[in-house]
Amino acid sequence: MSLCFWHAPLLHQPSVDYLLFLCLRKKENFTEDVTDRRLVSVPPPSSQLDTRDKLWRIHSALLQCQKLLEKAVAKEEEELGGGKKGEYENKRKLVKERLPLLLLSTGELLKAAEGTTSLTPSVEGLELNVPTGLLDLKLWVYRVYKEVNYWSKTAANTLKDLPSVIVKEGARTTRARNRRSTRR
Amino acid sequence: MARLSLTPTSKLISSGFVWLLWIVLGFLTSHTHADTGLTVPQRVMLSPNWDTQELSISWLGGGATTFDLIILRTEFNQTVFYETVSPTVNKVSGLHQWTWTSVNPLECTSLSVKIRSKDGQYTSEWSQTETLQGNDHPNSEQSVKAFPQDKVLPVGANITFCCIMDEGMVFDKIKYDGNATNVTRLSRRTYSTTVSNLVASRQSGSNMLCLPEDKGKLYGAVVFVGYPPLPIDFKCETYDLSSAVCQWGKGRDTHLHGSQRGTRYFVNNRDCSEVNQDVGQKEATCTLDTWEGNWTLVAKNLLGQYSLTDTAELSQRVCPVAPDRLSVVADAWNASLSWHWKYDSYSSLALVCQVEITATEDGKLIKRVFSGVGLRSVFLSDLYPDERYSVKVRCGAQQNFWKWGKWSELSSFKTNIYVPDTPDAWIWLNTDNTGKVVWKPLTRRQSHGKLTQYEVFLWSPEENRALAPAVTLPPNTWSMPVNLTEIAFFSNNGNIVANVTARNDAGSSPPARVHLTSVEPLAASRIVNTDQGFPLFWENNANATCGYVVEWLDAFCPQDCPVEWIKLPAGTTNVSIQSDMFQPGVRYNLSLYSCSSDTRELLKRWQGYAQELVPSVALTLSASQQNADILLTWKEIPLVNRRGFLLGYNIYNSTGYQFKLLENVSDPETMSYTAKDFAKGFTKGTFKFTVKAYTAAGENTGTTATVTIEPYADWLILEILTSLGLVTLLLAIVTFTCYKKRKWVKKAFYPDIPEPKLPSDWPRTRGPLDVKPSPHSMVCVVETPEYDCIKEMLVAIPEEDEDDEGQGIGDESVDTDEPTSLRYYNQVVDERPIRPRFPDSSASSISSMSSAHTDVTYTGIQTSGSSLVLQLDPQGSSECHQPQLDQSVSYGGGGYRPQMQPRAPSDDMGLPSPESFLEPQAACSGGYKPQGSWHFDSPVDAAEMGSLAPSLGSPTSVASTQFLLPDGEENTGEKRQLSSSAASWLTNLLSSTKP
Repeated sequence: MSLCFWHAPLLHQPSVDYLLFLCLRKKENFTEDVTDRRLVSVPPPSSQLDTRDKLWRIHSALLQCQKLLEKAVAKEEEELGGGKKGEYENKRKLVKERLPLLLLSTGELLKAAEGTTSLTPSVEGLELNVPTGLLDLKLWVYRVYKEVNYWSKTAANTLKDLPSVIVKEGARTTRARNRRSTRR
Repeated sequence: MARLSLTPTSKLISSGFVWLLWIVLGFLTSHTHADTGLTVPQRVMLSPNWDTQELSISWLGGGATTFDLIILRTEFNQTVFYETVSPTVNKVSGLHQWTWTSVNPLECTSLSVKIRSKDGQYTSEWSQTETLQGNDHPNSEQSVKAFPQDKVLPVGANITFCCIMDEGMVFDKIKYDGNATNVTRLSRRTYSTTVSNLVASRQSGSNMLCLPEDKGKLYGAVVFVGYPPLPIDFKCETYDLSSAVCQWGKGRDTHLHGSQRGTRYFVNNRDCSEVNQDVGQKEATCTLDTWEGNWTLVAKNLLGQYSLTDTAELSQRVCPVAPDRLSVVADAWNASLSWHWKYDSYSSLALVCQVEITATEDGKLIKRVFSGVGLRSVFLSDLYPDERYSVKVRCGAQQNFWKWGKWSELSSFKTNIYVPDTPDAWIWLNTDNTGKVVWKPLTRRQSHGKLTQYEVFLWSPEENRALAPAVTLPPNTWSMPVNLTEIAFFSNNGNIVANVTARNDAGSSPPARVHLTSVEPLAASRIVNTDQGFPLFWENNANATCGYVVEWLDAFCPQDCPVEWIKLPAGTTNVSIQSDMFQPGVRYNLSLYSCSSDTRELLKRWQGYAQELVPSVALTLSASQQNADILLTWKEIPLVNRRGFLLGYNIYNSTGYQFKLLENVSDPETMSYTAKDFAKGFTKGTFKFTVKAYTAAGENTGTTATVTIEPYADWLILEILTSLGLVTLLLAIVTFTCYKKRKWVKKAFYPDIPEPKLPSDWPRTRGPLDVKPSPHSMVCVVETPEYDCIKEMLVAIPEEDEDDEGQGIGDESVDTDEPTSLRYYNQVVDERPIRPRFPDSSASSISSMSSAHTDVTYTGIQTSGSSLVLQLDPQGSSECHQPQLDQSVSYGGGGYRPQMQPRAPSDDMGLPSPESFLEPQAACSGGYKPQGSWHFDSPVDAAEMGSLAPSLGSPTSVASTQFLLPDGEENTGEKRQLSSSAASWLTNLLSSTKP
């Protein structure tokens, strides 16, 4: 059995990012609660938030996740890579490829909710200080994966609860954009 | 209180004393050291190498060559090292230096170092303590809390890690690669663990985790464990005849990857690492611009390095590059292949090139080798027309061949079409001179292009003219019907040839000539198929100028049969025929024809089966009885159903469960079989006969015929007569033998019974016989009147033997215990007088019992519960007349009834009917009946003889089939009319033997 699928049967519908998270945990013998602080910084959730704010929060978090993930993959490859590419590397690539698609969806929904005056979240303040020690690097990458998993799941749940009008509008815009990019 | 007031004074005095003592001692000590020349080391300096965990200790002075060195963990004041060392001395600066390697990383905890000079037994004072501050010091600002970080170690090495807890953090454990380890505490906040015999780590290294009780505060270090590089097969060669390309195998996996820890390669000090970082690639290469002739490969990683060298002349290491831009110019049967070389320098290079041609249709591979200086084109011959090929080339240096270069890219081409091959034609004629000209379809290789049609025209070679216009047939037609009778009408002579040609876009094929002549059939010989087919042999025929044709077809095909043939060159004398047409169980005719320019001639014929099977149908069988014989007849199996050469018949006879082979008829022409005298052994019955035909493959299921044998009267009569004759003969022999051996028979079966002997004092008084009823079974013997006259008394004796004498007789248990073991004596038991067997009887009984005597003991007749009372005549006149047994003997219910006692008493005797004195119970029980089977005196006889019946005189034991014949029985026997002739005969026989 592949190392990366070790825990997969325990999950109901394991997403790729979660499988990646599990894969690293198993590979490096990390305990489940290896986390001391969050890497993604967004306003706290609140029942007061309207749909637009919820979307903005999710989109902002996913943007940070994307930056963190890109950095994590690059740094991990630099410091610990060079060997044979296996299941872990394949999953990592897959997550890295899929996260922009989720970002695109949330971005379109955000635009649909805000109208033309969209306030794009910024990642300028994101802390990208990568630890120097290799174990600290591994733990940091682990936290990044955990954030990606958390925010992907949160995004999915949030999108599920969004009003259908916004979702349809967002979907239409996304399809149109995809068509344009295909023609190009 | 007074004591308190005194204390300051005493303190002052005592402290002054201590000071004084110290001064004195210090003086003495310095004086002593001054004497030995040893001084305290000064300016101790510590220089740590954090990576190697080495602590370089240097100092000045000391005046000695050896020094005591002590290293302690500062916090716990634990000695880590304490030895006398000999440091190196810098002669210029006078600095002593000594290096200590720590097991633990130097960062783990603070270390204190002290040194003193030592010269033999003398030592100086310890130097001032110099401390190397560890990361566990409260003032340490280092954020890293686990050591060593990112270490690279060889497989099998040991490593000691340490974890420094933050202030307030509680240590839990240390894990290495997921496993908890044994921990040693080095200081208040530092814990260490040692992992021995490290195994190769994964690509991302093995983790050492420091686990505080607060799991969220995880930290630790990574260690990489692997091997130093070990490259193999280092060789350099040239492609362009000027530069060198060196290659080598990476060898074993070092487990160290990436730019930081991966292996770096250098060839002649040129870094070739960048192009060889791919872990999946097992081969590495490095290109050098010039041919240096000597090369050294150095492979390095953090664990070590390995070197390989290679030396060669350029001409010995030429490996041509792959030919480039292949082009082909194809004809129908050949092609010209050319290519380009990447380097012009090849124009003067003697090359040997390998060309691999693959026919696309069947994948057949053709390899050809060409050579030449600067070779860049070759001619490919012997190709097939209208065929698609792919071709590739590789070359090597013709001189000092080193290795083949790489294959070129594949190049495809197709050859041109060409006229078809001559069709393979033959003729099949029916018996009525009709038939067909047949030819085999041309394969793609034979067609040389797409066929457009076939043409057949009839030709008279002698007249040199066509007999009819050519017939054009589509390319999917492979036969044309002919009628020799009609054709002969157009020809003046019988020699007619059918010419068959095939046509494609390139033209017509040469014609195939078939002589349309009928042949006389020949007798066929039998042939057996082998694994290689039907082996046919014949003698060479001089007339077969254009070879032979062997033709085969189904032997039982009546008309327009599918025929196959093979053409053989002249001079051939054997061939093995194999064909997909051959089916098991089918007979084939194989014919050999000679081929000449004028005609065809049938030379030989064979018949055979590709595989013989058992006959497919059963026989038609009939069976009939002819006197004692059984005649079986059957009909022949049709040829088509035989499915093999019939070898004979097996005839079986089945009787019940047996299936017996009666006969094997090995002549397949035989259609009947006679089972001689089969009915003799049986009077009557139904029998089954099965006849099975068999071939080389075995016998078929067979046919069964049933025959019911009638009684054979003659035989029966003869049998009866024979039996009677045998019985008569047997009787005669027995009679004769008995007569001859009559004495022996008499002795063996009928011995004389001795006379009873009475002692002289035997009481003669007669008294009434009073026998009490006895529970025992008794034998009651009634003497005949004649006998009574001689024998005075009749004694009833229970079956106890004489051994009971003296102990008394009449123990009831004796009789009752042996109801089935009745004993019988017919010989003289005892010479002594017979005494009464009822000691408990009254005297009168005794006397009455003793009034009669006999020398025969009658025993063995018992009837349970019966009793016997013998009452003699009250007048005592029983001596000369038959005792009135019927009056004096009373019968218990079901008791014994003497044999001489007739059931129907004689009227002459004036006795009442038995019922009158048997009492009711006796009547109910029916009384005793003799059990003997051999009735010398049968009841019938007894009845006939009335009261004289018992007088046959033989006291008969019911437990025996023999008679006990008293004396005088001879006379008695004579009086009786015995109905059984056998008994009479035997009695007479025995009587005649009496002396």
